[in-house]
Amino acid sequence: MAELQKDPITRKDFLSFGILGTITGAILTIPPAAFILGPVIKTDVLGQTDVPSGPDDWHEVGSITEVPVEEPKVFVVDFPVNQIYGDRKIQEESGLSTEEFVVESAIWLSWQHEILEGGEYGQSYRPAFLDDYDGGTLTQAQIEEIQGNLKVLSSSCAHLGCPVRWIVKEGAGEFLCPCHGGIYNINGQYVGGPPPRGMYEYTYEVREDGRIYVRHEFDIEEGLDVQKPYVI
Amino acid sequence: MIGRIRSQAVDTSKFVTDWMEHRTGIVTMMEHFLYEPVPKRGAWLYTLGSATLFTIVLQFLTGILLLFYYVPTTDHAWDSINYIMTEAYFGQMIRGIHYWSANFLLVVIGLHMAQVFFSGGYKAPRELNWVVGVVLLLLVIVLAFTGYLLRWDQDGFWASVVGMKIGSYSPFVGGPTIHFLLGGDVIGPATLSRFFAIHVWLLPAVLAPFIGIHLYLLRRHGVFGNEFEYSDRLAKLHERQRLESYERYEENDGQPYMGRRDRADRNGDEDEE
Repeated sequence: MAELQKDPITRKDFLSFGILGTITGAILTIPPAAFILGPVIKTDVLGQTDVPSGPDDWHEVGSITEVPVEEPKVFVVDFPVNQIYGDRKIQEESGLSTEEFVVESAIWLSWQHEILEGGEYGQSYRPAFLDDYDGGTLTQAQIEEIQGNLKVLSSSCAHLGCPVRWIVKEGAGEFLCPCHGGIYNINGQYVGGPPPRGMYEYTYEVREDGRIYVRHEFDIEEGLDVQKPYVI
Repeated sequence: MIGRIRSQAVDTSKFVTDWMEHRTGIVTMMEHFLYEPVPKRGAWLYTLGSATLFTIVLQFLTGILLLFYYVPTTDHAWDSINYIMTEAYFGQMIRGIHYWSANFLLVVIGLHMAQVFFSGGYKAPRELNWVVGVVLLLLVIVLAFTGYLLRWDQDGFWASVVGMKIGSYSPFVGGPTIHFLLGGDVIGPATLSRFFAIHVWLLPAVLAPFIGIHLYLLRRHGVFGNEFEYSDRLAKLHERQRLESYERYEENDGQPYMGRRDRADRNGDEDEE
């Protein structure tokens, strides 16, 4: 290199080359990098999500009367995913397509149970007034009692995201993940297997007409926030 | 008659070959790339690298063909593959070759690696070729992983979810990497597009030059074997090539080799004296 360079590089040459190189490099690398890293910037830096989960984005699950006393029941909710299908407003204005990409998500609903020693299920904490509830207006106290004892669980296993299913055992039962055998009890609490925590619980509310609504929001524990349910 | 046609054909092909050789040097290059002396012992094991190359080439070819029908969207991906499998002519065969040679590729790569490892083929001066080979292995693994989701069936879907969530447990880089692959924070239409882009464009484009480097380094150092046997066989090969070219010269020219006649004459003269 030294033989090729007749004159030593001057300070001015070095600086101008450095500045020019930096500018050229930035022009060449930043646009493509930002282009493909868009989702990472949106999710990790700006904290956005693809599934609308604001205070108004409630999705109906079903009626409170549909949840059985002794075992969980699965409900299906369509969550819209806004990833690459563009602006909803433009879609509606053009009139060409109002299609929205939705994911059918399985949600397990169960009444909280007392867990006895040895993992047996004790009594169900299902509010007693539901026995003769026929779909009328609920009082605020009744709603609070329901919300204290209803479990709204994501079917996505907390280990690696496979859909769990309810396995009936004698007089009891458990959530079992088909992939690596994670086991949870009827309350969605961790019982056995590889999962680092219990099942994800949705943010939900029960309205006066006895219907249950969920939002795409989970009880993410501090320190485990990397392990979000990427499947909804 | 047949003899004349044959000699004309020979002349023509020789003319074309010479013409190309003088302008591109392609004949020498082909000879250099195709003739490779290998140790006598376990010669069949040295075909494992070629088997890997062959299966990768199959992947490229059948992959290009599949792209004529495959649609990378969530609502049509599965249907388009179903079309390939049920209605397209030889679709089942083309996709079958893509699928099975992808499976065999990983097996053959494993055997190829084992052969190189146990024969000590990674030792100096071939260390870099081992490193390049490992890069190729990783690229193929990511190709296999991304290809799985493109079917957009339950099997591929959950396998990809599990694979990505395994990655999400890595400290610091886990989350952003998974968000990069997902194209957001949940699996959806962007995920399929990204896996398609990575599987069909990005990784093959990276893979091809690394295969080139791998082959270049192989040709530069030759395959590893018994060094004495190797140089011995190389000398024999060169000797045979020399004799062959000499015979060809004699046949085509119709004249005895000048150098030999000179020498013979000179020897004869010496004898007389």
